[in-house]
Amino acid sequence: MANVIELHELTKTYGTRRGLTGLTLDVRRGEVFGYLGPNGAGKSTTIRLLLDLIRPTAGHVSVLGLHPRTDGLALRARVGYLAGDFVCDGRQNVRGYLQFLGRLRGGVPQARIDELAERLGLDQSTSIKKLSKGNRQKVGLVQAFMHTPELLILDEPSAGLDPLVQQTFLDMVAEAREGGQSVFMSSHIMSEVEAVADRVGIIRDGRLAAVDTVENLRTGAVRDVEVTFESPVSVAQFSEVPGLDRLALDEAGTTLTGQISGSPDAFVKALALHTVTGLRATEPALEELFHSYYAGAEDAPRTETAPAA
Amino acid sequence: MSAAIFAKYLSDGRRSLTGWAVGIALVGMVYGSTYPSQRENTASLPEALREGLNIDASAAGYLHASVFGIVLPLLAMIYGVTAGTRAVAAEEESGQLDLLLAHPVTRTQVAAERFGALSAGAVGVGLLVWVALLAIRDSAELTSVTPVEFLAQCLSLSLLAILFGALAIGLGAAVGRKAAVLVGSAVIGVVSYTLHAFAGQIGADWLAYVSPFHYYIGGQPLRHGFQWVDMFVLAAAALVLFGLGVSRFNRRDINS
Repeated sequence: MANVIELHELTKTYGTRRGLTGLTLDVRRGEVFGYLGPNGAGKSTTIRLLLDLIRPTAGHVSVLGLHPRTDGLALRARVGYLAGDFVCDGRQNVRGYLQFLGRLRGGVPQARIDELAERLGLDQSTSIKKLSKGNRQKVGLVQAFMHTPELLILDEPSAGLDPLVQQTFLDMVAEAREGGQSVFMSSHIMSEVEAVADRVGIIRDGRLAAVDTVENLRTGAVRDVEVTFESPVSVAQFSEVPGLDRLALDEAGTTLTGQISGSPDAFVKALALHTVTGLRATEPALEELFHSYYAGAEDAPRTETAPAA
Repeated sequence: MSAAIFAKYLSDGRRSLTGWAVGIALVGMVYGSTYPSQRENTASLPEALREGLNIDASAAGYLHASVFGIVLPLLAMIYGVTAGTRAVAAEEESGQLDLLLAHPVTRTQVAAERFGALSAGAVGVGLLVWVALLAIRDSAELTSVTPVEFLAQCLSLSLLAILFGALAIGLGAAVGRKAAVLVGSAVIGVVSYTLHAFAGQIGADWLAYVSPFHYYIGGQPLRHGFQWVDMFVLAAAALVLFGLGVSRFNRRDINS
């Protein structure tokens, strides 16, 4: 089976409130899929539908070829899940708690738990109650990864993690993919998904606004360019070049700035007619692209690059 | 089916369960030991109430009126409702239920294992009360009630706690809101007691049969020993409430 997740015309309404409206999406076996959207766009709704925590109003869900409602047990045994606001309880220490969760899965080797905990820098002798937000998130990550599930479903996985641990987490995701596991992870921050995802889906107002590979998105994204010429040029000489926008010349007429989207090929060829002394182009800003999908969306506030979780 | 949820629930709740059990047993002991000085006071209760609740100056009558009539069942009900609320509604509100239900377990299994833990706790409470009362049986001049009769009443107390536990779990499983569970259980608790105590006085004896209190103490286990039919009714009612709640639980969304 080629797809680990198949959603077809999935709709979820809460009373009069919309959750999802006709979402269709496939996640392929073996890929890391980044599921992007601002808070309230429907990311957690989608994920909770996958695990049968909530039931769809209409549409079809299939996870690992199984139906969440009727094959819930078999499905959840093969999935690792980290909730968006992972909470855990109890007077136990971390070790006892993880062992408990392992028992629900028929037992997980202690060595595996130790390895993951050590990697994330999680002290297993701490009481669950006394954990900081970041350490609680680590417990969430360990329990999602520990049984090496076929499919990892991670809702805002790096929330609360410090940058070093975030990197460790990204390594773990990359290794999971190398080991043949599939990963479906949501985020409201493009940059964290960009680093590991093969494909990215962007959700807005409960609908899929775009889905593409990171590379294609990057190709379509906008770069800032700045070119310095030996002798003055005019804007008109470049106005016909496809993909160029917001062109401006400095007073001397030798420094041209603007933005380019898509392939820079035509622009480079147009530049070849002149003597160029300096050239600067920024990395395509996916964050900008991401925001452009939300411009004008009423209930999707523009997210800052690092909003509070 | 592993008993991991059952075991964890008991272990997580062991301090509060110990507190409840010791507390209820102590209250039973203290009230029970006042019998020698209070036995004549039962005469000051209104006659209709005395008749309705089988209260007289005997040890059984005194225990009916005070220890097992009001204080202990009230505490047992509160234990049941508290533990039952914690089982589903409280965890759902705090968001912890998501994690558990994302594991290969069914909702029925989670609710049933926790109901089992709650029931085991309730039986533990009943047995401790029994032991406590046996300890003061001689000194408090309660020897006219046999240990078996004490046991019968104490296990009926456990069943009352289990019934209200089932009510709270059932309500929680059906709606998932702590406040709704607490209000619903409290209302039903008060109505149950009122029906039991006053149905006779308002000339509607049949109403008493609706109240769980009737099956808990109406058959006077302290005088007549085990009332198997009454105990069966309590247990069956608990299972029905639990079953109704769980069937709704299986069909609804988990609140986020």
